[in-house]
Amino acid sequence: MKDDLNLIRDIERYLEGDMSEQERSAFDALRRKDAVVDAEVARHQLFLQQFSDFGRRQQLQENLKRIHSAIDMDRLREAVSPEEAPVSGKVISFRRRVFTGVAAAACIAIVASLSTIAWTQHNARRSTNAQYEDVRRVLSNIQRSQNAIINDINSKNHAPLNPGTYGGTGFAISTKGYLVTNYHVIKGADSMYVQNSKGEFFKAISVMEDISSDLAILKISDSTFKGQPLPYSIQPQKVQLGEEVFTLGFPRDEVVYGKGYISAQTGFNGDTVAYQVSIPVNPGNSGGPLINNKGEVIGVISGKQTTADGIAFAVKSAHLKRLLEEIPKEKLNRKEWSNHNYLEAMSRQDQISKLQDFVYMVKVYNSH
Amino acid sequence: MKHQPYIERDRLLLEGLVSNKDNALEIIYLENFPVILRMILQHRGSEDDARDVFQDAMIVLFEKVQRGDFTLYSQLKTFLYSVCRHLWLKKMQGPQSLELHVSLEEQTAMEDAVEEKVKKDEQFYVMEKSLNNMGEPCRTILEDYYLRKRSMQDIADKFGYTNAENAKNQKYKCLMRLKKMFFDQYKR
Repeated sequence: MKDDLNLIRDIERYLEGDMSEQERSAFDALRRKDAVVDAEVARHQLFLQQFSDFGRRQQLQENLKRIHSAIDMDRLREAVSPEEAPVSGKVISFRRRVFTGVAAAACIAIVASLSTIAWTQHNARRSTNAQYEDVRRVLSNIQRSQNAIINDINSKNHAPLNPGTYGGTGFAISTKGYLVTNYHVIKGADSMYVQNSKGEFFKAISVMEDISSDLAILKISDSTFKGQPLPYSIQPQKVQLGEEVFTLGFPRDEVVYGKGYISAQTGFNGDTVAYQVSIPVNPGNSGGPLINNKGEVIGVISGKQTTADGIAFAVKSAHLKRLLEEIPKEKLNRKEWSNHNYLEAMSRQDQISKLQDFVYMVKVYNSH
Repeated sequence: MKHQPYIERDRLLLEGLVSNKDNALEIIYLENFPVILRMILQHRGSEDDARDVFQDAMIVLFEKVQRGDFTLYSQLKTFLYSVCRHLWLKKMQGPQSLELHVSLEEQTAMEDAVEEKVKKDEQFYVMEKSLNNMGEPCRTILEDYYLRKRSMQDIADKFGYTNAENAKNQKYKCLMRLKKMFFDQYKR
């Protein structure tokens, strides 16, 4: 026992550099001679390492506890709570509106047939997935600029720090913060943010979704949002083959212009809801406006054919108009989606600079 | 991937973490906790679950960084997210689904880091149990000297030893006991 105590004292003094030159060389010699002593030195070092690691871990746990206790959980709870509760009241359910007007039996029949159509369409689309591709983009793969990060921190309207799971494009259809994008962009979203070309973020909620035409209407829910009159109108009439068109979208963190022409009156596999457009689109372009030379919105970019380059599809604006008409007047005043188009006589550059304030990047957060 | 600006920011934060500077720990904590909280709540967890899982992930990160073997394959937040997801799935004993958007390299690095922590947890548990069995003043003397880096003279004054040499002798005795208790249960 006494020897053990002496040994541990010597080891400590040896390791801490407390020994004189003479003692040290004597101890070195002992280590070389006696394997038990040598092993004990190694064991002691291991023990001290473990002990100090343990201390560091405890310190770390205390720090984490302290940081956590300073968090305002009430505010955080509010910020991360799923949006379902407020949204469900605002979503205009197509089903419910039918219910009020028609007898229940008829309603069930309609719903059943509609859902069958939607289901078969959906399945048909899924089965040809290899060729048809939604052009929403996966944001985690995309580089965000340092500036954007700094802007986030400095701006009042900053988005959550997570860059979002999916992204697409959306554009304003009213002066008061209504936007349209593709249904597939926001499908399964827990929350959504939209960002304009100035880098401002706004929280948005979905007010209407239509699976069959792949469109969704969003509303900016931030009180800080200030709308401005739209410079363009929605042109629901059929367009002619070969008509020149362009789009603005967010396949990157920056707005990107693309130009092309209407190449067919129907979309993928003869889908009458959409046009075929010969225009370069990439993941992130989904939900962008398709605009003719006069500056009128004639469609919404929704997908592209994977087996061929430059073949994209856009939902016809007639479907968009039909959807807008389903929103009750007290929510979306007809005057808000103006019929005036101010872009007609402008050069393309001027059209774009006017338009880009109304085109938003849509960021979708979901954890699935 | 290596030269993207967010990587640069993450790198600075990690440097701060190594040197315990610039509130790096706090910044990383506050920036990432909300996302994890949301994820855990959505996966049938509670706020306390989120806190526990996230703090475990922070420990994994911190100790990996301190060991100097942390390679930033992707964003820091991606790493924390996948660690939390992994820990939570493990806790729920659910089927381990393949994590999306995470490369195999990242996946194994993450799992190794988590395993390393589990191993450490066991060792620390042994250490804590041994310390708890020590009794006073042994425990405080050892903690003061080895963890809080107090001088032997301070410790002698605190515990009323007549001089540092007496305190030192007491410390050796305590150390011997602790070491024995520890190694009786310790396995590598």
